Amino acid sequence: MPAILTVDPRSGVPIYHQIVEQVKRSVALGVLEPGEQLPTVKQLATDLTVNPNTVARAYRDLERDRVIDTAPGRGSFVRDTGTAGRAKQTLTDVTGAALNEAVREAKSIGLDRNEVSDIFSGILDRWYSTSPGAEARKQQ
Amino acid sequence: MNATDMAVISVKNLSKRYGRIIAASDVTFDIPKGSIFGLLGTNGAGKTTTFKCMLGLARADSGMVLLGGAPLRPKTFEELSYVPETSALYDWMTGRDHLEFTRRAFRRYAAGRARELLELFGLDPMRKAGKLSKGQQSALALTMAFSIRPRMLVLDEPSSGLDPLHQRHVLDLMIDAAAGGATVLFSSHQIGQVERAADHVAILHQGKIVVQGEVDQLKASEKIVEATFDPHVPALDGLDADPNVRRVMRNGRMIRAFVRGNADEVARRINVASPTSIRVLDQNLEDIFVAAVGAQASSAAGREV
Repeated sequence: MPAILTVDPRSGVPIYHQIVEQVKRSVALGVLEPGEQLPTVKQLATDLTVNPNTVARAYRDLERDRVIDTAPGRGSFVRDTGTAGRAKQTLTDVTGAALNEAVREAKSIGLDRNEVSDIFSGILDRWYSTSPGAEARKQQ
Repeated sequence: MNATDMAVISVKNLSKRYGRIIAASDVTFDIPKGSIFGLLGTNGAGKTTTFKCMLGLARADSGMVLLGGAPLRPKTFEELSYVPETSALYDWMTGRDHLEFTRRAFRRYAAGRARELLELFGLDPMRKAGKLSKGQQSALALTMAFSIRPRMLVLDEPSSGLDPLHQRHVLDLMIDAAAGGATVLFSSHQIGQVERAADHVAILHQGKIVVQGEVDQLKASEKIVEATFDPHVPALDGLDADPNVRRVMRNGRMIRAFVRGNADEVARRINVASPTSIRVLDQNLEDIFVAAVGAQASSAAGREV
């Protein structure tokens, strides 16, 4: 499990935030399965060489967001029901925020709606090769 | 229960002058149990003075220090390890002699732990301390410090002279100690180390604490609003006086405001003046350090922009 987690301490993004997001991503993608045990706080802190309190805080946030359950003395586990859906919803929110930021940036440097739309279509075409939008544009 | 009740190490209004030089001025911080507290500062900022006054190695002019919830007393040192910035080893004694010394002085000494640490740092216990490199001397001092399974650790530049691998070992030892409930206070020049291992940080500058808090919270709360204007940055009245704005750098067509708290509000105010671009950037600890510490450092950084 630790192999799927990496943190960048130099980033401006708080480390606990990085851990929370990566665990959610792993759950949403099925890399971490329902019922699967997470490393202990101490183990993960040592593996990542980050502060134990930081890991503990990340776990508390994951509990609050109902992604994991912690049973005292037994450890932390990925929750069974609906967890992947909830994790995916969070990641959808993150994506929305990133797109919002990009569009705000585009507007601030003076691009108009159509220019932004063209850039966005180009990016969509790159990642969603068979999208209906791409087909429609080819026919134009 | 507030932070002070939970604090294992508590420093209140500590001040110390050497002649006309103010080495520490009204230094105050609390370190909760199980925390790793990083003290950052430029050379001569007052880090070592603070440590020495805390431990009774220098007499503070004023202020109060509680270690393990009590004023300094002999018992405090039974479970506290201090590693000074400069070697306090005896040149004519071997590593094994030093550990024997530690065993006799500390009831908490664990021989098995000491052997593990010697191996971790690749130290030959039969060599005299005077024959060790600076890095090896640091490693021996750390081996002694961690061999007593301390409940409190005060480490002054613990990784100076160590190679990157052994520096990582020191961070691992600190993390391991904190995970076991020990409280760690350390100073470092290396912001990356503090950023990685510490959950709390204080930045000392000219004897005063200029920033302190939880590392993650500082990162989350300190943002940079960066905007460019054509042809030049307008006056933006009142921006510098905004209590949330720590510092403003103007550089030709660009302005950067270092903001604590709500960056959106500052961005909105700048945006009213119709910049050609504006964005809000996250700050890492180095950005926060530079913003807090200094005119000289920051004007140099400003020229690079």
